[in-house]
Amino acid sequence: MANIPGLMVVEPSAEQSKHRAAGIFVRKDKRVEGESVKERLKEIREHVKNNNAALIEQLQKTLNTYDGVKTLIAKDAKDAVSQIKQIAGDTTLVSINKSNVVVNELRPGLKDAGFKTYLRYYGEFKNFEEGKFQKKVEDYWSLPGMHGRGLVESFDKRHSITKLASSGTKDYVAIMGVNAISAEDGTVYFLQHMSNITKDLQQAKKIILVVGIEKILKDKEDALLHTKSMGIYGLESILLDLIPHDIENYDFDSLPSLPEENSQELHVIIYDNGRSKLLTNEYNELFLCIDCRACARQCPVGQHIFLKNDMVYSPKNYLLGSLQGWLPPHEVCLHCGRCQVECPVDIDIPTLIWKAQFEHYAEDGRSLKKRMLDDPELLAKLGGMAAPLSNWMVKLYIVKLMTQIFTGVHKDSNLPTFHKETFGDWFKKGGSHE
Amino acid sequence: MNDKVVYYHGCFTNYYNPDVGKALFSILKINNIEMIVPEQKCCGMPMMANGNPAGAKKNFDYNARMLAEAAAPGYDILTNCPSCNMMLKREGLPFFDSEDAEFISKRIYDASEYLYKLYLEGRLNTNFHEIPMRIFYHNPCHLRVQNITNEPVALLKLIPGLEVVKVNTNCCGMGGSYGMKMINHERSVEIAKKLWNEVKEANVDAAVTECGGCGLQIAAGTGIRIIHPLVLLNDAYVKGDARKAA
Repeated sequence: MANIPGLMVVEPSAEQSKHRAAGIFVRKDKRVEGESVKERLKEIREHVKNNNAALIEQLQKTLNTYDGVKTLIAKDAKDAVSQIKQIAGDTTLVSINKSNVVVNELRPGLKDAGFKTYLRYYGEFKNFEEGKFQKKVEDYWSLPGMHGRGLVESFDKRHSITKLASSGTKDYVAIMGVNAISAEDGTVYFLQHMSNITKDLQQAKKIILVVGIEKILKDKEDALLHTKSMGIYGLESILLDLIPHDIENYDFDSLPSLPEENSQELHVIIYDNGRSKLLTNEYNELFLCIDCRACARQCPVGQHIFLKNDMVYSPKNYLLGSLQGWLPPHEVCLHCGRCQVECPVDIDIPTLIWKAQFEHYAEDGRSLKKRMLDDPELLAKLGGMAAPLSNWMVKLYIVKLMTQIFTGVHKDSNLPTFHKETFGDWFKKGGSHE
Repeated sequence: MNDKVVYYHGCFTNYYNPDVGKALFSILKINNIEMIVPEQKCCGMPMMANGNPAGAKKNFDYNARMLAEAAAPGYDILTNCPSCNMMLKREGLPFFDSEDAEFISKRIYDASEYLYKLYLEGRLNTNFHEIPMRIFYHNPCHLRVQNITNEPVALLKLIPGLEVVKVNTNCCGMGGSYGMKMINHERSVEIAKKLWNEVKEANVDAAVTECGGCGLQIAAGTGIRIIHPLVLLNDAYVKGDARKAA
């Protein structure tokens, strides 16, 4: 029997544990203080950021000690897809987990390579109708353990897989982005809200674990807290993903079992795709991220555009994608600053987004429309000087249309009213009320 | 006068809603605080948002110098625009840091935050007249992310008769000129819909918010009157009829 590192699945406490979790919530002595978890998390992630090359090397050595694992290194998405193609052989049916690395970075290439990829996670919800995922109240409650923050104890290891299945496998490939892996002993951690991860680990003929290099942690203890924290801080963002949208569903459970001799294969791809480059520049703060997506819950833009498709959206994921070059620059950002509010490791995402935008405009230049709008004070001065005529004019349809054409300001925009006398003028005159 | 503060009015107050600045002037006067208004330019955030960091730096440096000079004796600096506040206090610092920028960053207050601080210290004149009015308070993102949410509400609640029916902390989707742009307009409206519905359902006399952009967005979708908290507060002092304020 081939030996493999442990595959651990962390889940929020389900039905039977709700009372226990509620008890922990009430009993303050049993609660782990949110701040202490955050401090520990930051330490863990700083270690990853500062020792990444050494951790990659250590993980490779560790994985080589398991005869049941085949390890590969992929420098980018193209590389990874080509490796997956070789591993998959004739199999084109693929189940993927809802991870940034697989859904956002690899899926387009997998599709181009002829794979049929399905997000099995959504298939576990009841509300599918004609290929559309429907948002219904009960969907919220089919996700177990919505207990609130700071409840480290409400997430626990629920499943532990220590050997590959020698029977009952099905003819498909599971490609799964791991949430954390221990460099010390190779133990893999997944966060699971439904049962898709466990099923894929038990059923897929070929399991391919994609390890983004930032997911390699020092040891099991670090990897477990990292994974639990994803669940704790990202709970509400999980709910955002339940926005109704078109999605292809596939019933993997109904696939027939392969004959006995088809035992499972386990492959690990250590995946870079521009990450190590980020470590060398000012974006290395992104290595602190645990991918909990707490920032996504706060992002007003993401909730309205990115969650409608299959993208595993967060402002950080978007920024990473644009830095990797597969997404356009972060022009959709409205700079509300909300993405920083709940980040458990205090990544200054707003500043990093500004920086990425500045670099983009410095390199590619700015449109005339952008140039016309970057000095609103000048426009206000001109409008004020011409008031009240200017106020009458901006209400004319033809003026609105011309403004739209030349400045890009939408003709239906509600514009403010110009004042002949500014506050500054009034103050200089002595500030007396009329 | 016992005290002095430096006032950064920003573009919106200066050019589009001078009544807000006048209201703050009056409030401060009633509380024996003198307002100093140094020369100033646009805070620079619109330039940053339109990819012009060089232009933003020019304005930021100018403002930092003028404000630092005016506040040098140890005066606090007040703003009434959340975006200007955030720009001067923290957003510009990673890119345009300087001694003056650090100096002013530590002294910047949102006007409501400052006035509520005075109240907690027992220094705010609370001789308010009654304003029998139901309002919807929208907390702009740029205050929300600085954790300035409770202070404006607590300040408004000092006004007798004023009922804060609902406090909203969701984004309105305007983001300065973001929502006005063709490429973002539809998305901006989509974001705003939730807020518009909440305002309509609240059945109030007015929506109160510090941000000029948020105000335009709320008015666009609801037609409701928009009032800056400072205008309301000043009306409570001088017994103006806030229900007519726009």
